[in-house]
Amino acid sequence: MQYVIIGSSAAGINAIEAIRSKDKKADITVISDEKKPLYSRCLISYLLAGTIDEKKIWYRPDAFFKNNKVDAILGVKAEKIDPDKKEIALGNKKKIKFDRLLVATGSSPKLEKIPGVDKKGVYPLRTMEHAVEIQSMLAKVKKVAVLGGGLIGLRAAYALKNRGKEVSVFVRSPQILSQIIDKGSADIMQRHIEKKGINIITGRSAKEIKGSTSLSSVVLDNDSQYDCELVIIGKGVNANIDMVKDAGMKTNWGVVVDEFLRTSNKNIFAAGDVAESHDIALEEKSINAIWPVACEQGRLAAFNMLGENKIYDGTLAMNSLEFFGLPVISIGITRPKKEGYEELIKINPERNVYKKIVLRDNVIVGAIALNSVDTIGIIGALIKNKVDITSVKDIILEDYFDYGKIVNLIKDVKQGFKEKEFRETIMTL
Amino acid sequence: MKKIYCDIKKCLGCGACEIACAVEHSKSKELDQSIKESPAPIKRRKAESISQSVAISTGCHHCDDAPCVAACMSGAMYKDKKTGLTKHDEEKCVGCWMCIMSCPFGALTRQKQDKIVVKCDLCPDRDVPACVEACPTGALFSGTEKEFEIKLKVKTKK
Repeated sequence: MQYVIIGSSAAGINAIEAIRSKDKKADITVISDEKKPLYSRCLISYLLAGTIDEKKIWYRPDAFFKNNKVDAILGVKAEKIDPDKKEIALGNKKKIKFDRLLVATGSSPKLEKIPGVDKKGVYPLRTMEHAVEIQSMLAKVKKVAVLGGGLIGLRAAYALKNRGKEVSVFVRSPQILSQIIDKGSADIMQRHIEKKGINIITGRSAKEIKGSTSLSSVVLDNDSQYDCELVIIGKGVNANIDMVKDAGMKTNWGVVVDEFLRTSNKNIFAAGDVAESHDIALEEKSINAIWPVACEQGRLAAFNMLGENKIYDGTLAMNSLEFFGLPVISIGITRPKKEGYEELIKINPERNVYKKIVLRDNVIVGAIALNSVDTIGIIGALIKNKVDITSVKDIILEDYFDYGKIVNLIKDVKQGFKEKEFRETIMTL
Repeated sequence: MKKIYCDIKKCLGCGACEIACAVEHSKSKELDQSIKESPAPIKRRKAESISQSVAISTGCHHCDDAPCVAACMSGAMYKDKKTGLTKHDEEKCVGCWMCIMSCPFGALTRQKQDKIVVKCDLCPDRDVPACVEACPTGALFSGTEKEFEIKLKVKTKK
């Protein structure tokens, strides 16, 4: 059996390990357009911040492909999939045959469609190469404009502030982190970040980037100008679906996959940022372009490529962030956009604590934990297992709410909590 | 796989496991000295109340399909291929708290000073984990799942 994987970040790496854990002999080929793909994408901003050294960015050791007997085609782009011939055409004109294919092509940063965005000194922050290029020009940079107040934008801002730069973040929405947390928690985080010396301007976007050989300024939508020598764009990502779409498989925002992470072609699977799969909280297909999802999907898709028919429970949005010592973790739906949701909120302004639970018919579908993150995973388990939490509703936001408080729930529910570790904890109850 | 199990019927929630764990993971490994250490020693077991008279001592369950391993973006959290245990390489940890986000048991703790996470390591320097040894009622048990089941059966027969 010839297994081919396109992409060698979180999903690709975890798929390789999963195949190898079950089949020591199968032929595995991985294709990546990056020459050195085994780094952790999430750590790029840490590298830029100088809070980790280069050694720490490697998610797997150099010898990973060799150790797993993988034929790694690196620095070469996969260009075309021929699903009938079961063949992939590469940028170097070679062709690769497959029996089972995993598309783990990830996503690409969205770039603003404004004049000047193609100038030197304007960067997204997605690859190691971006980080290296940004680092190489830092000596000449005093002021930075970050366009976008999402996860990447703020991480980039934090990194560059840490490197001694004057940083301003321009956010189109009325709040930062609008895809991840609600306004109440975002406002606390924003004030905290501002106190540490990063300027955040909400409700403001850029309409032009000016400069010649080097950048000079960003023109904002109120016609004011912000002088800067570096612009970082953090406007989210688009799934890299073109190759799959051209090959005639079903795509939407991403590559649409079923509960086995299989595409509309039975020999081709997709995992990670590129895959659009069932979302547990939203109860519809969605993309959650996050590291944990890519890892679990890569593993599960690999098992199904081996013929195991493992059902994927679905994805869940999840993010963990910390800026200047203030951590926040969010899971699922944090800002309900439709009717029929209930919100429980507890705030302690002196301690910068903000906790929120979002419910639909007494089942948790989302949560935010700002500066009180240690037991949020338990809430995550309640979301995943769709438990009616009526019996613990009055204590769920208390600081003493811990695993012990859901043990009876786990015992009483008829469905869910199928992992054996849950059973182990209740077998003596 | 050998790990730690808790018999809820015997657990008083007294917290002896917590203290023994924190002391074992201190620099001095002596209670009187360890409480003065900086950073303060951190317990990796938690005695938690279930209801007024029922409690559980919980920690890392070394899940087969460990969500913390999938979530770890630095490769610090990993499965030991030989033993199946979930291990943590503190050198690789960057303190992103993604494992905390995904652990359904709340078994991970932040060590804020060095910005790393700490978890149960089953006391590699000891034959019997400190928490098991310290448990005054014998609620905690170190062994395989089978061994734990046998122990429970023997007890009910009596």
